[in-house]
Amino acid sequence: MKNKLFEKYFVFSPYFWLVLFFFIPLAIIFKISISVSEWGMPPYQDIFLFDNGFEINTTFENYIYIFSDYYYIGSFVNSLILALISTFFCLIIGFPLAFYIATSNIRLRNILLVLVVIPFWSSFLLRVYAWKIILQNNGILNVILLNLGITSEPLQLLYNQYAVIMGIVYTYLPLMILPLFGYLNKFDLNLIEASKDLGLNRIKTFFKVILPLSVPGIVAGSLLVFIPVVGEFIIPEMLGGSDRLYYGKILWEEFFVNRNWPGASALAFSGIIILVLPIIIFQILYSRWSQKNEI
Amino acid sequence: MDNNFLVIENISKSFGDNKVLENINLNISKSEFFGLLGSSGSGKTTLLRILGGFEKPDTGRVILDGTDITNLEPFDRPLNYMFQSYALFPHLNVFNNLAFGIKENFTQKEIEINVRNIAELLSIEHLLNRRIKQLSGGEQQRVALGRCLIKKPKLLLLDEPLAALDKKLRSKTQLELTTLQKKLKITFVFVTHDQEEAMSLSDRMAIMKNGLILECSSPEEIYENPKSLYTANFIGIANIIEIYKKDENFYSDDLDINFKLNKELKNTQTKILLRPEKIKIQSINNLKTNSFNSFSGEILEKSYLGSFTRYEIKINKTIISVLDQNFNSNSNYNFPKGEKVICSWESESIKILED
Repeated sequence: MKNKLFEKYFVFSPYFWLVLFFFIPLAIIFKISISVSEWGMPPYQDIFLFDNGFEINTTFENYIYIFSDYYYIGSFVNSLILALISTFFCLIIGFPLAFYIATSNIRLRNILLVLVVIPFWSSFLLRVYAWKIILQNNGILNVILLNLGITSEPLQLLYNQYAVIMGIVYTYLPLMILPLFGYLNKFDLNLIEASKDLGLNRIKTFFKVILPLSVPGIVAGSLLVFIPVVGEFIIPEMLGGSDRLYYGKILWEEFFVNRNWPGASALAFSGIIILVLPIIIFQILYSRWSQKNEI
Repeated sequence: MDNNFLVIENISKSFGDNKVLENINLNISKSEFFGLLGSSGSGKTTLLRILGGFEKPDTGRVILDGTDITNLEPFDRPLNYMFQSYALFPHLNVFNNLAFGIKENFTQKEIEINVRNIAELLSIEHLLNRRIKQLSGGEQQRVALGRCLIKKPKLLLLDEPLAALDKKLRSKTQLELTTLQKKLKITFVFVTHDQEEAMSLSDRMAIMKNGLILECSSPEEIYENPKSLYTANFIGIANIIEIYKKDENFYSDDLDINFKLNKELKNTQTKILLRPEKIKIQSINNLKTNSFNSFSGEILEKSYLGSFTRYEIKINKTIISVLDQNFNSNSNYNFPKGEKVICSWESESIKILED
């Protein structure tokens, strides 16, 4: 009997955490997003009023507002594009690396894995700041380029969307490599040899055998990079310029500069729904597909 | 017969300081079923992988049907390799696994016909739409075989082709494999650590040890007339007896008996091999004791194996294995433990080991 309880606890504990740390905060954000804003602390009115009997005091104006202004939608689209591009680069850099790590001998593999994880041991902020120092006008990269005579004046490397993409790819690369490694590690190398033996050269072997069998790893790594990058705030803030506005930045400003909590909450809630719904649908379809294909 | 269909010439291979193959030379004929037999670490799989193109030899050449293929990539070699794990593609069904190697060069219709033919040959037509995970070990083995044979290779390399099957299925598949090979007349080279498998499949086989080929001959020749002590012990059960010249005859201290050899010996001391089934045992009151090539002993152990009974017989200081065929269906026919018996053999059955 005790064991049964124990088992039940373990089965249901993930749901417990999910409720505690995902659904309850989400509900609170939703509640704020349909509140009426006002000057004060907190800067919104209660949704249930009891002054003249019972009254529900909600509004969907915040949603109407953010969906009618391209300022918000545009920034979200910018963030989606940024996330797509960054995920793509993480994938094409991360895949060969993960494959190399997974197929090297155990000693080298452990060293390489530690190297992949080492950046996590220093502060994320410091690492992004380091890129700022490298890329600035009198930074080390420009000094090298100038001294080599490749350019005659310092290049503007910082404060544009390219710096942002580079910073994101650098920061999120381990999140791509590790799940990919997890799948490729189990990869039967005989399959590659079998494919070559049956007459397919390296490129065809990659597309016919390695790639289809790596789909679960690619999906896991891509989601792990894509989702947080959409809401990424710090990297665009530190490395980006004013040429492009991103969702994370707008959210920050709405909360802390405009003190429009209901508007910001509406923005956050919409973002989560727009992002999570397609991913849930995708996951359902994908798990059906992979079950059918037994990957 | 063309003895130079596959020529392996001075092949050596090292991994770091570890010499895996040393100066291997082999000639294999067309349509031959050739076995490489050795324990693990003998270099047999490395040799097979060199033939497949997955490893490059440090020295030497591989010539297949007159063409030097030493430096060709696996996908450019007119041969196929069947992996021990079968290495079937889990993301493809049986049909697409079979068609994998011919998709490039054939039309959809030709692929269809080829796959049907090969499936029929291996009696796996009913499995074509299955996924790999839904197949039993034996079915997987057939698909792996079919995937190679569909390419009509000049040479098929098989790495431990039956190792993953259970015992009953193994002997059935052994038979099918030999029949198939004789029917298709494709040259097969296979690797195994199982001496029974090597004997039953091979036309000729090579015994490998520590990167060297010790002997290469037909299974019968290797079993009956092994040249080395290692081979004698490796193949089948062997009674090895040390003898030396004493007066006109050869004498064994361990057995305390004289041996009569039908062959002149240069050395004054040597080892001889006596296979357990060559020894005849009889009840003691039937015969006179210790003459040439016969001795009396006591049964220490017996194990009934169905068609045979294996006895461990103690003679003087040594224990000799004897396999006695159970001619008689009477269960009392066997000699009981502790019984004194007479063992005898023909002098032709004694084989002199060279080293």
